[in-house]
This record gives sequence, C-alpha cells and structure tokens, in this order.
Amino acid sequence: MEIKKAIDLKGVICPMNFVKTKAALAPLRAGEFLEVILDEGDAILNVPRSLKEEGHQVVSVENLGGTFRVIVRKGAE
Amino acid sequence: MSQITGQKYDLAALKKVGTIQQRDKEYFVLRLRLVGGDITSRDMESVTAIAREYGRGEIHLSTRQGIEIPFVPAGRAEAARNAVEAAGLKMGACGPRFRVVIACPGNTVCKWGTLDTKSLAREMDEKYFGTETPHKFKMAITGCPNNCAKSTENDIGIMGAILPGWQEEICTDCKLCVNVCPTGAITREARDGGKGRYILSEEKCINCSICTSSCPVNSWIPVKIGCNLTIGGTMGKIPRLGTILKKLVTDPEELRDLVAKSIAYYQKNGRKRERFGHMIDRMGVEKVNQEILNGN
Repeated sequence: MEIKKAIDLKGVICPMNFVKTKAALAPLRAGEFLEVILDEGDAILNVPRSLKEEGHQVVSVENLGGTFRVIVRKGAE
Repeated sequence: MSQITGQKYDLAALKKVGTIQQRDKEYFVLRLRLVGGDITSRDMESVTAIAREYGRGEIHLSTRQGIEIPFVPAGRAEAARNAVEAAGLKMGACGPRFRVVIACPGNTVCKWGTLDTKSLAREMDEKYFGTETPHKFKMAITGCPNNCAKSTENDIGIMGAILPGWQEEICTDCKLCVNVCPTGAITREARDGGKGRYILSEEKCINCSICTSSCPVNSWIPVKIGCNLTIGGTMGKIPRLGTILKKLVTDPEELRDLVAKSIAYYQKNGRKRERFGHMIDRMGVEKVNQEILNGN
C-alpha cells in the first residue's frame, strides 16, 4: 500500500480535522491512500464516520496511545 | 377546600390541571403539556399572547421540556386555563400522577438515534398522562445510549438500543470498531496469516450504534433493534438511577405490556409519597423485576 500523502491532525478539533482531511484527499485520485493522525475521543469517533458518509473508506486504524494512525482510501468522485 | 390550612383553593385539585400556587399565594403558575418538548410556532404565539394577557408576559422553560406561564393572579387562573384550552393547547400536571413524557429528537432527527422517540412519547403520553400513582411518576424516552433525554433519571426510561452483529465475509480488518467502541466490548483475535476475528462481549456492550454506523464497510450491522427498559430512576432528594428491567426489547407489544405492568405494580405496592425507585430498593430489585416480568 503506497501512502500518497500524510497529515498530522493531533490537537485539531472537530470539525476542522474533517475539513483538513477532505482538503488533503482532494488532490488524490480515487483508490489512492492518505495517512491521517487523529486524536482519541471526538476525532476518532467523528472523522471516520464523516469519511464513510462521503464515500471514502478507512482501511486501517492503529492505536498509537492517545492518537490513532488512520489510513483512508479515497472514494470515487 | 382545605379546612386545616385555611387556604381558599383546593390546591391538590388545581395541581391535577397544571395550576400550581406560587410562593406568593396570590399567584399561580400554569404548566402546559408539551409531549417531548414539541410545540408549533403557531401554538407558541398563543402561549406568548396568554402570558401577556394573563401573566406578566413571562414564560419559563421547565427542566422537563415544558412551558410554564408564571404570575397569573389567582382570580384569573381559571380564565387563563380556559384560554389555553381554547387555543387548542393542553394543561400539564403536577402532584402524584403520571407526568408529561419527555423525549430526545430520536432517529427522525439525530444521527445516533435508533428509536422513533417522538411517536412513542406521544403514544405513551396519550395512554398514561394524568394516571394516578403513589407519588410523581415520570417517563423519558431517549433514542440511544448517549442518553440525552436522561431516561435513567426517570421512573420509566425507554432507551433506543441495538445489538450489533459481525459479518466476517465483509470485514476488511481495519480495527476501527475496536478503537471506537466506548466500552471496549469489541475485541480482535489475531489469526495466523489471515484477517482477525472480531468478538462482541454482550455483557460489556451498551447497545449504542457507534460500531454499526462507523464500520466503513457495514460489517457490523444491527441484528436486533429495540430498546432497553429501566425502572425506578429519580433525581431529587434521594437520587437513584433506573435499573434494567429488560434489555433489547424488540417487540413493541412486549414494551407496551412491560410498561403497563410496571405502572400497575407501583400502583399496587408503592407507599404514599414513595417514589417507584425507592419502593424497588425497599422490596429488592430482583424480586420486583421477577414479579413484573412474570406478571405477578
């Protein structure tokens, strides 16, 4: 799996974390992967759910202790 | 009329129709009956007009999603009540009886809700509002275990609840569910060379829908949709959270039956001015649950 882009959203609160995730996904092509670091709590609860609603797919979540490393595959336009 | 206190009004009778004497005995509060806190903008206009005409133009929002009109002079309370009813609104209740049912917005509005709280609240209110009980009796209906309507603080609490089920063939093994489950009810068991196996602890599961709504591929789906029923919740002087009567009630008829049996049980066994929860603690949670569930 080739990660095309990575962003660290540690400390970035809702809904800005989702806005920034969407912005980071924008230049990617469908099927390409983005790595996002998300905080525990609201961030890990809300951002993956919002990504699902917009047709993207979380493919892996790794607990780093307080933050999570989330890999997202960009959905079809 | 009370001979003992020398009061001019039958306060208990007035409480039945939502008319409550204030600290300054010359004034009454009118309590309206809004199921689940809902009111149309047109009805709101009637409320404001009545508050100006009969009160001091003040409106109070109660802690149980109601509207109250304070400072109605005693001599005008009946006329004000008539005005409320003429406007198509209903009076609430005070005293030892079943109060207005409160509810969160539920699944017609909220992304987390798994229950149509408002329809159920209207049904329950229609059936039980004003029913005489040993002490005040409150019901709240909340759409999911986020418990925004605080169902467990009520004599009967109805909480939307789902049981998640894992579909192995769809799962992509991303581990999101393990990391978002609020109670750690989902665990992943590693398997040699292949995808992990996900296991739900029904004991730890609080029946929210976080896993089913978060799962990127809908590998977790609700295999049961219903409600968790709690009894005996109260705040006040001696707070007590509602205790589970039955989890994951999926049949609406069974829910109606258990609610009816719970109220009847309290009417039969509760002492005067003893809240349902305190009666349950006096008699024993297990005993009361068994007798209600077995219909004794």
